[in-house]
Amino acid sequence: MNRRKPAIRAGQYVALALYIVFLAFPLLWLLSISLKGPQELASIAPDLIPHHFQWGNYGNALTQQGLLRSALNSTIVALASTALTIVVALPAAYALTRFRSRLSGLATGWILVSQLFPVVLIVIPLFMILRSAHLLNSLVGLTLVYLVWTLPYVLWMLRGHVASLPPGLEEAAAVDGAGRLRTLATIVFPLLRPGIVATAMFAFISAWNEFFFALVMLQGTTQTLPLTLAQFVGSQGQVSLGPLAAASVLSTIPSLIVFGFIQRRLASGLLSGAVKG
Amino acid sequence: MRRIRPAVALAAVALAAAGVVSACSSSGGGNVASSSSDGKVTLTFQSLAFQKPTVAAVQKIVDSWNASHPNIQVNLVQGSWDTVHDKLVTEFEGGTAPDIIHDDAADVSYFSSQGYLADISGDLPSSLKSTVPQGSWDTVTSDGKVYGVPTLLQSYVVFANTDLLAKDHVTVPSGPTMSWDQLESIARQATTGGTYGLGWGLQSPTATMLTLGLNFGGTYFTGSGQNAKVNIGDTENQVPERIHAMAYTDKSLDPSSLAQSGTDVLPTFLAGKDAMIIGGNYVAQQISEQAPKNFHWTVLPPLAGSSADQAADPQVLAVSQASKHIPQATQFLDYFMSASNLAAVAQGDWLIPTSAAARSVIQQDTGGKDGWAETLAGAQYQVPAPFQSATNYSQWKVQTAEPAYQQYLANKISLQQLDSKLVAGWSQAGE
Repeated sequence: MNRRKPAIRAGQYVALALYIVFLAFPLLWLLSISLKGPQELASIAPDLIPHHFQWGNYGNALTQQGLLRSALNSTIVALASTALTIVVALPAAYALTRFRSRLSGLATGWILVSQLFPVVLIVIPLFMILRSAHLLNSLVGLTLVYLVWTLPYVLWMLRGHVASLPPGLEEAAAVDGAGRLRTLATIVFPLLRPGIVATAMFAFISAWNEFFFALVMLQGTTQTLPLTLAQFVGSQGQVSLGPLAAASVLSTIPSLIVFGFIQRRLASGLLSGAVKG
Repeated sequence: MRRIRPAVALAAVALAAAGVVSACSSSGGGNVASSSSDGKVTLTFQSLAFQKPTVAAVQKIVDSWNASHPNIQVNLVQGSWDTVHDKLVTEFEGGTAPDIIHDDAADVSYFSSQGYLADISGDLPSSLKSTVPQGSWDTVTSDGKVYGVPTLLQSYVVFANTDLLAKDHVTVPSGPTMSWDQLESIARQATTGGTYGLGWGLQSPTATMLTLGLNFGGTYFTGSGQNAKVNIGDTENQVPERIHAMAYTDKSLDPSSLAQSGTDVLPTFLAGKDAMIIGGNYVAQQISEQAPKNFHWTVLPPLAGSSADQAADPQVLAVSQASKHIPQATQFLDYFMSASNLAAVAQGDWLIPTSAAARSVIQQDTGGKDGWAETLAGAQYQVPAPFQSATNYSQWKVQTAEPAYQQYLANKISLQQLDSKLVAGWSQAGE
């Protein structure tokens, strides 16, 4: 057994390294394309490392198609919809878990059923509602759409996290004289922090990457990043490959910053709601 | 567990329902165009310009129009070719379509049949009508009504590596057209060593077959609208049969290129693996940008069978029926179509302007170099094709024609089987 352990450990590291290469290679290739000129991109034998670094692709990406403005729009919508989703879902998850009523079962069932609807089924009714409320071509309207779209899944995730907290903690706080609100603010929500972080990350990524709702609801200067990236593809399938790759690299930066900031809490948050009681 | 008081729960549900009902019942939306109390009109123009010089040219046109027309201002918004159809469907349905729309003739034909586009025949100046050929106007005309202005055309041309042809002692054709027999002969002569005479990206073959089919009088359809019927005969089979023979009999056409897109075959052409490629004339821009410094190329004369006709599917500028300022929008279209403006846009996209005046400007500016002379010469052969007015054409193309042609070009089915699939698929598309 002791003789096998180093070999097994080495095999595990090799497998891990191969898996990292498998995951990282597309990003490395994207970075490589973003630094190549048109002639290198048309080469029949491409290399990973560019022969002549073409930093102009980043300049073109920033000046073409209004990338910075759409990045700001995406950031505003993603952060706002994430915050709103958590603010709405957290008390709702607590109520669904702790308070039993005839409505609880219906609400839980509705959360699950709503996940079955494909996007194309609801996009036209959503469009008509936003038009009636004068919220088309506005970031507010899109934020509300993302709130509604991600709320069921975030609610379901948070429900699991709430259920993992022992009710005895709240009962003990009640015995000590703490009211409902004080118990929530000082005991329950702090303990839910890892779960909140995990669900916030999910909501942020969903809003950041979403394309179809933005395509239908937005126009012109209110466009988000996914729509702007689509404009690097022209008619007949022509692609401005270098600037598109550069724009894609720039588009990943906000997500990387957010993920880097919360990654320590992310792992514990993903697992904390997995087992109840 | 605490129980929610029923009264509180019912009150919450009623409040939510009241909010939803009031939001749905209030009117809203409407066309984007606006006019202020002082009579100033603002139009929205959704452009699909994609290339950097084209985006700049369109912006310059809008800026110069706004400077010279303070009472009719144009607000430029950027769209995407990839998503234009879906976006316009939603915008037309929701009443938020821009005043001026940029799309292709086939899509304009669809939207005009749905009643979403304005008939601008009464507002078009005669000077504009006369500078654009009737064949191009026919692609945007239905029942005598004109639903847009055709702006830019594309044709399929043959690009040739002149060094490889010279090495194989091939005489580059210099007449007004080049026959398919000449193309096949050149391809055979140029197939030597590790080089194929021809590479052709036919991953999406239907448009190419139907467009070039007109070279032999192959119309594919008779009738129009819901009454269109598919017709596959000897003339329609000329182009697919010749391509198949070049690939599998002559072995002068690289069979692997048949499964690639038009731009995917460019690296093999630039690397000298294919002596010629066939693609849209816009590929000339990519060749100019991407070719190595010592790469010498030319555009061969337009391909011709019994004629050099190709189906015209121009880019179009159209006006929304819901626009409150149709005459003003049409005025802007006329300005856009002036020779210098249209020439600038065409040069940015490396496409053919519909107007003869704009073509003259480009000929002067470029001296006919980089294939421009041959590209511009192709404009005279652009004609409307019956498939553009066949109602179920898009469905038939996606569901039947594309996979059938791909199987035939992969040598998996015979020509007779291809014809049977195309005919049977049209019957199903009409159901």
